[in-house]
Amino acid sequence: MRVDVYLPLVLALLLAAVTPHVGRRISPALAARALTTAAVLTSAASTWALVLLGATLIDEDPSVASEAREGGRHLPEPVPDAIAIASLVVLGVIVYRVCRALRSHQASRRALRGLCDGHPPDSELIVAASPIPRAFAIPGSPGRILVTASMLSALGPAERRVLLAHERAHLTHRHSVLSTAVGLAAAANPLLVPVRSTVTFLLERWADEDAAGVVGDRRVTAHALARAALVSQRTRSRCTLHFSEHAVARRIAALQALPPPRLWPIAVAVLGLGAVPALGAVDATGDLLHLLAGPLLG
Amino acid sequence: MSGEDRRRTVRRSAGELESEVLATLWATNQALTPAEIQREIGGGLAYNTVHTILKRLYDKGLVLRDVDGRRGAYGPVKNAAELTAEAMRQALDRGPDPIATLQQFVTGLSPDEEQALRDFLAGGAP
Repeated sequence: MRVDVYLPLVLALLLAAVTPHVGRRISPALAARALTTAAVLTSAASTWALVLLGATLIDEDPSVASEAREGGRHLPEPVPDAIAIASLVVLGVIVYRVCRALRSHQASRRALRGLCDGHPPDSELIVAASPIPRAFAIPGSPGRILVTASMLSALGPAERRVLLAHERAHLTHRHSVLSTAVGLAAAANPLLVPVRSTVTFLLERWADEDAAGVVGDRRVTAHALARAALVSQRTRSRCTLHFSEHAVARRIAALQALPPPRLWPIAVAVLGLGAVPALGAVDATGDLLHLLAGPLLG
Repeated sequence: MSGEDRRRTVRRSAGELESEVLATLWATNQALTPAEIQREIGGGLAYNTVHTILKRLYDKGLVLRDVDGRRGAYGPVKNAAELTAEAMRQALDRGPDPIATLQQFVTGLSPDEEQALRDFLAGGAP
């Protein structure tokens, strides 16, 4: 129990450490799926590990303790009380963070649905007559693509096709599901925040590769990104730069190289990193039940 | 136009072609005849296809016919697009930006990157 229960916490660090290497070396579609799955498993396991550590306080429950004393038995103390209490505190923080992530997710969905008002339900493209150059996919069934008029007029015909193919790729491959999943995993385990950043980047790379395939020209795809980034820059305030600061430049560089290979062994190794803490958590659960049940059932 | 281009065009679905024609009308910012749209889009789209797509967009109320006094020229309907722009502005003002959490086509650039991208575009227009 002692090892198993701390395992998910350590492996979350390891997953975060290998993430950038995985993201650079294998095809974005495979890397994004493997990293998201591993992150969800790891965060579920680490949250459950905290529940188990907190549950060891049951030993202290007066009825359990007195029953054990009457039976002349000694209750095992697998985890120091301080750690158990700290685990419950951390668990409270996690619940708060996950609720906050869910609320902001819902607020953004509501705002996006509002943007579709007044457009026919069976048209894929929604144009906003706005001077701010923007383009994004609105998930849903059916998903929609919102592009502002200023973005459309900044691009040439082939580049507009890249833009539409890129946003369409987000919708067909349900990138919003992966993005929400890895977002919740990072909310439940802040050690996984770097994994979330990498997956966010990989989803863009995935859509870029898809668009390059549809248009059949990696160079035109890179040009579309460069032009869109430059025109967006004019209306973007400097303070909105964040972790993705170098994202566009890195995406353009990647399009000028060959498409990365689908290396299954690396993906399987990443999934293993997620599976180990999950198995550890299951094992630790068994150990705890055994510890508690032993004295109680005599 | 190569044979590969033609096959690629054929594969595009009706919905995708509607998006492309609509995007073209918005991008050029002037009324276009089907022949002009055909030229602008390129990629071997048949005249009849462009015509059919324009008819569908017209039926959905997304484009207008005989715009700017030009017979047979099409232009985009602006009402809904202006409402959406207004809704977008409000969403941005209200903050935190709900769109920032989405996968955006592009993100910010540092000054160095900005220059590098300008050089990239100037260096080799295809």
